Amino acid sequence: MSARRDLRQQQELIGAIQPALHVSQNWNYAVDGALYKAYMHPPHDVGGQFDAPGVYEEKEEEQWELNTYVTCEVLGWRGVWNSEERRRRADNDLGYSLYLGIPYYGRWILAAARMLVDKNHISLAELIEKVAEVKSRHAKK
Amino acid sequence: MSHTHNPGDGGAGERHAAPMVEEITDFEVLEIAVRELAIEHGLFTAEDHRRFTEWAESVGPAAGSRLVAKAWIDPAFKARVMEDAVKACKEIGIDWAEPTGFGTPSDYMNLRVLEDTPTLHHVIVCTLCSCYPRPLLGMSPEWYRTTNYRRRLVRWPREVLAEFGLVLPPEVEIRVEDSNQKCRFMVLPVRPEGTENWTEKRLAEIVTRDCMIGVALPRPGRTADVHPVQKAGRPVQR
Repeated sequence: MSARRDLRQQQELIGAIQPALHVSQNWNYAVDGALYKAYMHPPHDVGGQFDAPGVYEEKEEEQWELNTYVTCEVLGWRGVWNSEERRRRADNDLGYSLYLGIPYYGRWILAAARMLVDKNHISLAELIEKVAEVKSRHAKK
Repeated sequence: MSHTHNPGDGGAGERHAAPMVEEITDFEVLEIAVRELAIEHGLFTAEDHRRFTEWAESVGPAAGSRLVAKAWIDPAFKARVMEDAVKACKEIGIDWAEPTGFGTPSDYMNLRVLEDTPTLHHVIVCTLCSCYPRPLLGMSPEWYRTTNYRRRLVRWPREVLAEFGLVLPPEVEIRVEDSNQKCRFMVLPVRPEGTENWTEKRLAEIVTRDCMIGVALPRPGRTADVHPVQKAGRPVQR
């Protein structure tokens, strides 16, 4: 079997492993070697995958997107995390559904929120309360 | 709260006097919540955030254009760029150590400039995420971050470049450079014909961002990158 054919089969398998609600996924006693390799493939390693031509758009930046970028960078500046843990784990190691489904800076801000909770800088309860408070503050008067 | 002057927190009101989007989105809520909690817990200050924002809004592709134009005119400068690009950037007023003293946390201070020739064309991508030489070119364009560009460029560079309107003859070799967190790249295109005796300033005008990514070539009269633009609901207020 050629390396090219191996790669193609591997990529087709990766493309097919997103969980589908209509496929039973109970009682997975074992996975075969090819499937194991596909599951272990990090979702953000997309170089060389197949895709159709698309329209290469610019996007005007949302205020929350710039703020998110700056918050993540300033958390790095002040030593709360480093760019490796942010980029390699928090922003990208999310599983296919989240990685492909959430906006670019959406992944960044979720990563920051999870990291602050994981490292016990804030509690989950505190985050939930703050989110509710921000929502009510901005609710239509 | 003392930091309500920060852009985007909505508390000050004057920045969002006429919002185009009425409902605040979930990501906007989360952004405000995370920023305010981090400040309340002393992880950083509102002043840190303001200073970094100021830096982020100050960077853009104009610096890269100046670097290319200067390199075209001054062979000794070009040699210094190829030798140590981060050091050479200081000569055009870009210090990669800004704004923290050790650079941005994301942009490792290592830049390599890829010199095109009439038979060799470079183009950059980041297949794993969106690594980009921010201090020199500003924020990456949205299309550079898409899985589509990242998936396809490394395998079908000639076809993808043609979709950008850049059709290269078969005798021109294409090299795709995959950026990563420890090394950033920028393309130094060939100085086009018809620009003899041009000033540095005039040359810089035709070196657009896309030329330095490698998805376009500079030519007289081409001074802007034209792409469809997705508008923001609440854009950055500048």
